[in-house]
Amino acid sequence: MKPLLSRPSPTVVTAPDRPTLDDPSLRSTWSHRAWIASGCTTVLISLAKAITGAGESHRWLEPALAGLVGYILADLGSGVYHWGIDNYGSASTPIFGTQIEAFQGHHKWPWTITRRQFANNLHALARAVTFTVLPIDLACNDPVFHGFVCVCSGCIMFSQQFHSWAHTTKSRLPPLVVALQDMGLLVSRSQHAAHHHQPYNNNYCIVSGIWNEFLDQLMVFEALEMILFFKLGVRPRSWSEPNSDWTEETKSIPSQIAAN
Amino acid sequence: MASLTLPNHSLPSLLPSQKPTYPLSHNVPIFSKSSQSQFYGLQVSYSSSLSIPSLSSVKGSIFAKVNKGTAPPPFALKDQDGRNVNLSKFKGKPVVVYFYPADETPGCTKQACAFRDSYEKFKKAGAEVVGISGDDPSSHKAFAKKYKLPFTLLSDEGNKVRKEWGVPADLFGTLPGRQTYVLDKNGVVQLVYNNQFQPEKHIDETLKLLQSI
Repeated sequence: MKPLLSRPSPTVVTAPDRPTLDDPSLRSTWSHRAWIASGCTTVLISLAKAITGAGESHRWLEPALAGLVGYILADLGSGVYHWGIDNYGSASTPIFGTQIEAFQGHHKWPWTITRRQFANNLHALARAVTFTVLPIDLACNDPVFHGFVCVCSGCIMFSQQFHSWAHTTKSRLPPLVVALQDMGLLVSRSQHAAHHHQPYNNNYCIVSGIWNEFLDQLMVFEALEMILFFKLGVRPRSWSEPNSDWTEETKSIPSQIAAN
Repeated sequence: MASLTLPNHSLPSLLPSQKPTYPLSHNVPIFSKSSQSQFYGLQVSYSSSLSIPSLSSVKGSIFAKVNKGTAPPPFALKDQDGRNVNLSKFKGKPVVVYFYPADETPGCTKQACAFRDSYEKFKKAGAEVVGISGDDPSSHKAFAKKYKLPFTLLSDEGNKVRKEWGVPADLFGTLPGRQTYVLDKNGVVQLVYNNQFQPEKHIDETLKLLQSI
């Protein structure tokens, strides 16, 4: 008689391509961790240059203000990037294909982001930050510019973590994170939940979310979509009824997740 | 609440710059039939001595434009069933002519559905509703069928009528403008309303006007 499994398997019904709780695709690899390390290193070097430069010049206000601008613009950047990935291209698009596929999977199974390990979740952004910030670290010493760069790139790199927190139930979040969300410094759970409704065409920003109301009320993304439609003939996904590849799968939610 | 609404009043072009949105061609539409026609900003008398080269240097002022109080130039366009429709067909009753960017785009769909939902009110006011865009008749047919639109959609292929009427483009010329004209039963324009990003307001404004004339 064969022994029973020593580890209980999750009580889920798996559909094709649907990740399970212990799906290997949600786990961090050493490659992921290496990209996190390199991304963080480049951001920390930029931060160090900002601090030492400010210390040497005794001018702290400008680098700090530049950092604030970086935080504000990181939110805008996250929204524009998110809008682009959600609406255009496909899994076969060069460079962005895997991201587009990941966002598609996220819309279908929003809960998986809360089950991704840290480096797995952030490594793509960490890679982009490495390639962008390293040349700046090597070429530039201006503390004001570095004040902007370290905060902006740091927020962008960690936006996936903020995004994950925005999908996590309150009871599972550290109190500090809840406080930052309630203060509007990090994108809130309710604000981001508004994005996860058909046709997925609003609340795109995922750092602090401060741009969301402005962008949505002024219909900035709709205007951009119209311009791209008339200039290039491409229709964004949000104009059509979302097909099953993009809509949230609400059936057979894992019981462990539902219980949390 | 901040918005991109253009102020609601009857001037047709509310863009800060009056640069021409379409190139001047030597086929300037001079409407010699009607003495009421006027070029934007200029009252021109029709004579053979009208000098095009000297006027062409005045940017944005030479295009025939349909304003409040003027009668628009006639047109004959195909509807969603491929039949020719003349503007003169609607003489004797008020008509709402609304120019919109394109079928199956979010704003235009909202606008068309809003006209559909209020169509009974337009009929009660004795008015007809006509939508015009650059899409071809088959696109209009599919659009009308999908959203059960009860009114006429006309194909202004090449945007010829849009240019003749002087519908301004938005966003630095990248987007065909969303502008609605209400013609009274004599065919004279009584309202010109422009609003790209709040399409449902076109219905409110036109109904308000129709109920007052």
